[in-house]
Formats: sequence, structure tokens, C-alpha cells
Amino acid sequence: MGRYIIRRLLQSIPVLLGATLLIFAIVFALPGDPIAALAGDKRALPNIVAILREQYHLNDPLLVQYWYYISGILFHGDFGRTFAEVPVTQIISGKIQVTINLAVVALIIEAAIGVGLGLWAALKRGKAIDTMILASTLLLISVPTLVSGFILQFILGVKLKQWTGLDVFPIAGISEGLRSYLLPGFVLAGVSIAYLTRLTRTSLAETLRADFIRTATAKGLSRRRVVGRHALRNALIPLITFLGADLGSLMGGAIITERIFNLPGIGNQLYMSVYLREQPVVVGIVTMLVLVYILANLVVDVLYAVLDPRIRYE
Amino acid sequence: MRVTKGAQIVAGTALLALAVAACGGGASDNGGTAAGGGSDTTPVRMELGEPQELLVPSNTTESEGSEVLAAIFEPLVTYDENKNAVEAAAESITSDDQKVWTIKLKPGYTWQNGEPVVAQNYVDAWNYAANQENAQSAGYFFQRIDGWADLNPGEGKQVTAKGMKGLQAVDDTTLKVTLAAPFSQFKVMLGYTAFYPLPKAAFGPDGKVTQAFGEQPIGQGLFKVDKPYKKGTDQSIDLTVYDKYPGKKPSNWTKLQFKLYTDSDVAFNDLMADNLDIHDSLGPAAIAQAKSSLGERYQDQPDAGVGYIGVPLKYNPELNKTDVRKAISMAIDRKTIAETVFSGTRSPADDFINPAIAGYRQGACKACTYDPAAAKKLYEEAGGPKKLEIGYNADGPHKEWIEAVANNLRANLGIDASAKPFEKFASILDELDAKKYTGLFRMGWAIDYPSAENYLAPIFSTGAIANGSNYGGYSNKKFDDLIAQGDQAASVEEGLKFYQQADDILNEELPYIPVYFYRNNSGYSTKVKNVHINLLNQVEWADVEKA
Repeated sequence: MGRYIIRRLLQSIPVLLGATLLIFAIVFALPGDPIAALAGDKRALPNIVAILREQYHLNDPLLVQYWYYISGILFHGDFGRTFAEVPVTQIISGKIQVTINLAVVALIIEAAIGVGLGLWAALKRGKAIDTMILASTLLLISVPTLVSGFILQFILGVKLKQWTGLDVFPIAGISEGLRSYLLPGFVLAGVSIAYLTRLTRTSLAETLRADFIRTATAKGLSRRRVVGRHALRNALIPLITFLGADLGSLMGGAIITERIFNLPGIGNQLYMSVYLREQPVVVGIVTMLVLVYILANLVVDVLYAVLDPRIRYE
Repeated sequence: MRVTKGAQIVAGTALLALAVAACGGGASDNGGTAAGGGSDTTPVRMELGEPQELLVPSNTTESEGSEVLAAIFEPLVTYDENKNAVEAAAESITSDDQKVWTIKLKPGYTWQNGEPVVAQNYVDAWNYAANQENAQSAGYFFQRIDGWADLNPGEGKQVTAKGMKGLQAVDDTTLKVTLAAPFSQFKVMLGYTAFYPLPKAAFGPDGKVTQAFGEQPIGQGLFKVDKPYKKGTDQSIDLTVYDKYPGKKPSNWTKLQFKLYTDSDVAFNDLMADNLDIHDSLGPAAIAQAKSSLGERYQDQPDAGVGYIGVPLKYNPELNKTDVRKAISMAIDRKTIAETVFSGTRSPADDFINPAIAGYRQGACKACTYDPAAAKKLYEEAGGPKKLEIGYNADGPHKEWIEAVANNLRANLGIDASAKPFEKFASILDELDAKKYTGLFRMGWAIDYPSAENYLAPIFSTGAIANGSNYGGYSNKKFDDLIAQGDQAASVEEGLKFYQQADDILNEELPYIPVYFYRNNSGYSTKVKNVHINLLNQVEWADVEKA
């Protein structure tokens, strides 16, 4: 198992290199001069532009620029600077916590509601409540985050306070600690909740029909024990896969949610940096997201083995 | 409801992890909790976008950083209600020939670190800003000072001069500025961010402004910064009234907090929820609601910017006929665009000079009146092109109004007009320069200093083709002469007469087609009153009172 994990981690090095080069090339290919763009609708002085272009190596070919970037990381641990001379590491380290908090809150909300509803629907299959759950998940899937985010922000953040005077959900920033993350976390989790509900329902329903469940029931075990111990554990495998992969997409999906709720996270920063074409920041953030994907996948694979002894590696 | 064991585990983990997340969350920052009461220590909270750069005056040309710096520094001049420049940190600003200017500093100002404010602080700051090696974005503001060229020898050339020869500290309170050519509006310029002084402490051993200063600037103005601003991480910039500031201070509060937002509409929601006190850049989406729910706390006033349709005279001979441009101008329904597309956040343009600034004349642009029938006739007689593109940068809110203009041209002139998106404004300029694009283009202008001259010379003078924002390549000898005469005039008012004559030429020839004037739409919460926004779009902090 240990050797398996190490091999997987080693494999991620070329993946990371490839991803950074790709992102670098994409940002490089964007038209327009980032230095000139900094001046807005006015034209910057040509001598100043020239000095800045030199300073940021913008006149060099793609591969040379990439080499400056990678060698800075490898030999000096320097991940580059923004146009305002702020080190990328400072920006990422200052913002990653916000995004992690948001993703974790979203993941928990997603897991709690998604698995809970899915379980309920599976146990009541064919009944009215099952249909209701299915219908509401359909609704959840159909509404984009952008829409649900603004609507919930307006109703629960602005109107609720105006009507009742209760300050439950802050709508912008992170000054209220955990409370600040509840609403954005729910919005971010939204679509995934629906998928997870349906996945749980199907997976559990299938497991409940399996022979070993009939055996367990025939042994005289309580329904609670049959479902909890035998069925759920087996049904959990596809769910873990989904949640693992979803962690990565939650970090990415944070771009929209963080903007709507003004959370100072990685997503918001990524948007701004693409806008300003700050290559080092864009590449740094995307590399980090790739790393999160790789790690999440690794954890999922390891969890497989824990949940199901039949699955072992090597 | 029966709860299965699985669900219990999931719920338990959920609670645990929520608690963990809560600890990690920014519990440190609680400045802005509701239910403050009238206490002195709850800050007045102001909406702000993230400043583009660290807080260095000479490297700040955008509105967000300027707003913060204006709270920390005292400019030499401010502007009164009649749009005139009046002395602030300066005791007097005088000149006999508009070329050599003597600036006397007002006593009583101190740097917030205890240093005395001396004339040399201005000399150091301006020389630093103008030197190309420091690559300061506001360096071009010093172009008019004699010796600027020595500090800007051009690309790849070494700067050999120590400073501008036109800049001299005669004694601790007297600054002598010699310009390369007379400029009657020089005093008006001095209120701009780039002209703030810098204390000795701003410079590091290498003679450059330090990063530490950029994070926590030391000024001589109303507010001092509480703690270094970590750009990219911090969500607010917190200030406290500087008790040795000699000017007018707010009457019943001492703390000011700039809260950073990436989206103006989110900030508006925060204002509605009373988590924010002042919002001075309401977007079109928020306006309709702001009018009804804020009532008197919603303010709408002229803002000094202008929006144009740019014409590439230099690159496209088909657009070189004045009548063609006039016809295009008359075919644009400005009123509908201002009211419908912009929901009233703009007003129809009828001059090249904005109503917020002295020198504006209502209806000066005759061809800015909507007259589709006359436009069509004129366009056909002049033989205008059958196909027109209007380029705009898609990274800003321009698509809707450019498409509206294209619709106007299609319907009223019977030509094939279309909107063409570009990645950024800089890409339009690149393609114009490379002659790959010859269509009309969207253009906007926000002034640097409140003088009529600033709407004319930087955009339409021949000199601005190489060293300014004259993207269309318009060149008119008579216009240039009138600008020069205005520059040499004996006073600001004298100068204005010549500038208006120059403005007449533009209104007749339409090198660009003015479409709208910006408006400033702001709102404030129930917790503050007396919110005034000045000509530079900055809040007059000393006036603001807590309700």
C-alpha cells in the first residue's frame, strides 16, 4: 500500500509540469498586452511600458518565460509576483483557507443532506415522499449556481433581516466566522446535493435487493442493523468516489460562489488574475487545484480498500 | 422519524467539521458586527474595490487606490462647490507668467510619524514619480515640469539626471516649480493623487519607495492607517483620524473602514442589510431598487467622465469626411440609451466638456441632437461607408450600449452596422496601431484633474498622438493653437475662453462622437448622514456624521 501511494505521488509530478505548461501557454496566448491593459482606457507611456515588460520578461518567447517561472520555483522557491509586486505565495496562502473552509462546509452540507435524503428516498421507494425528493432534486439540478446564489442572498440575507430583524446569514465577506460560510456553502453544494441524493438512492436501493441483505434479514437482524451496517457500507463505495471527485470541482466551482458572496478565496482571486493576466498567479492557483484533484483521487482510492477488503492494490 | 446509525455518523462528522472550519475561518476580523449603537469606535464602513497596486500615490491612477490615499494625504488644493481649485495644504500658489510657479506651504501639517512636512518632501516625491526607472504609472503627470525629459530619456536609455531641473525647494515652506511651457491650469492639476508629497520614511536605502510604505503609507492628512494592508489577503483597510491633523475633522466618529468588494451589486445588498454605510458606485441593476428603498439616501450627481464612439481618422479615409461623422452622431438616440440601456446612470452628451466641470455649455454639440431623417440624408449625400463596425472591449459593461448604437445606425442610416467585441481595450488599440482594424471604437475618458483642458488636449491635440490618448489620430493646427493660447493665458478663467473655442472646433468636426456623460450614483445607510461626494468622486470625510 505504501509503495502504491508513493508511486501515485511520483506520477503526479509530470502531471503538474504538464498542467503548468498548458496553463502558461493558454494565458500566454490571450491577446492584448497585460501592461498596457493596466492603464485602462488611457495609454501608458511607452518607456514605462518597455521597462515593465522587461521586468516581467514579457518580451521573451513562451518557453523562456516558462523556464524563468519553473526555475524560480525549483531553485529559489519563488512562485513569482503580481503586477503590484505582491508574492504569489502570500496571495495564495492568504486565500486558500477561505476556499478550503467553503469547500469543507459545502462538502459536509452536501454529504449530510445528500446522503440523508437519498437514504430516506431509498427506504421509501415508490412512496409519495420518494417522488417528492426526486422532483426537488430535479429542480435543484436545473437552477444554476449563479441564479440560486443571488436569489438566496437576496431573500435570506437582505429581506429576512429587513422583515424580521434577524441577522442570520451574512451575505458578504467572512467577518462572521462560520456563519459567513453557511449560505455560500449551501449554494456551492446545491447541484451536488441533488446528484448525491440520486446516487445514494439508486446505490442503496440496489444493495437492498442483494442476496446478502436477504440473508441478513432472514437471520433476524433488526432493519436498522441491516440497513446501517450491511447495506449502507456497501452502498457507500460509489458515494465516496463521487465526494472525492467533487471536492476538486467544489474548489473550482468556488469561482462563482465566492464572487457572489464576496468571499476572499482562491476562486475570486483566480477570476481577478485571469482578468489582469497575471500569469504567475493564474498558474500558481491552477497548479494548486490540480494538486488537490490528484490528492483527492488518491484518498478516494485508498478509502476503497478500507471499505471493501476485496479491492486491494498491487 | 427513524434515524439510522449511518445518518448519525454523517451528522456527527458534519458538526465536528463545521466546528473545525469555524476555527479556521476569519474569526479574527470582527470589525463590522451589527448593532453598534452610536459608539465612537464602530467604524464608518465604505465600499471599495481592491486597489490595483500597493498604496503609493505616484503609482495609483485608478479610483480605488486614490480613494484610500485621499483619506490619508492632504493635497495642495481641493475643489470647492463652484468647481474652482482652492488651497488646502498650500498657503498660496502663484505665478506671474504661468511658467514659474511659487507654492507656499501652509504651516501646521505634520507627517503621521512625527516628521515635519517640508518643501523637499514634494521635490523628492515628484522626482521619484517622474523617473522612468521607477516605472510609476502616474509619472506622465509631471511632463509639464521642466526637466521631465531628462528623467525620461526613453526605452533602453539610462537616466543620468538626478531630478527635474524645474523643481526646487527654496526653503522649508517654499516650493518653486518651473514648467517647460506656460500652463494656466497648473494649480488645478495639483489636487491629483500623483502630486501628494512623501515623507523621508517612504524611501528605502536604495532610494525607492519601500514595500512597507506601500502597505502602510504615512501621510499628512485626515486619517492614518491602522495596520499594514496585506494586498490579496486583507478584506478591509482600517483607518483612524490623525489627531494632529490641522484641518476639519469629522464631528462624532474617528474610525473609517474601507470594505473590499469584487462585485458592486453584492456591496449594494450589504448596504441594504446595513452591513455597509456608504456605497459610491451603484451599478445599473441596483439603481431602480436604490431609488425606492433608500429614498433621500440615494444620490445622483454628474460625474466627470465622458463616453464616446471613437473614430480612427488616421486609419480610415472613409470616415474622414466631417459630414459622415455628423450623420452618424445625429443617428444615435442618446436619450434612450442613457435612460433604457443604462437605467439612468448616464445622461445624454451634448458637449465635449462634462457638466461637472467649469466650461461646459449645454447643447454645444449641435450634431448630438437626435434627428434620424436629417442624418440619413446627410449620410447619403456625403457618401458614407455601407458597412461599419463598432469595436468594444468585452471586459467592461459596454456590449449593450454599443449594440444599441449599432441598431440606431442600422435603422436610421440603412447601413450594415455591427458591434465587434475585443478582449480588452488595449487589444483595440493594438489592432488600430497595426491597421488591422479600421472601424469605430468605444472610448471613455475619466479626467485626471477638473479642468476643461483635460477633455481636450490629452485626447485631441496633435502632440497626444505620440504621447497621450489621441487614439484616433486627429490633428488640427487651429485647435492646437487655441490650446496653447489657453495654456498661456493669465488665469484659469482667461484660459477657459480659449479652451471653449477649441471645444467649438471639436463640436463642429466631431473627431470623436460624444454619446453620454457618466453620473455618480451613490447610497448610504441609516447610520450616517451628510454624505457628500466631490469632483474627484471621493467622499468628503470631514462632513460625514453618524446619525
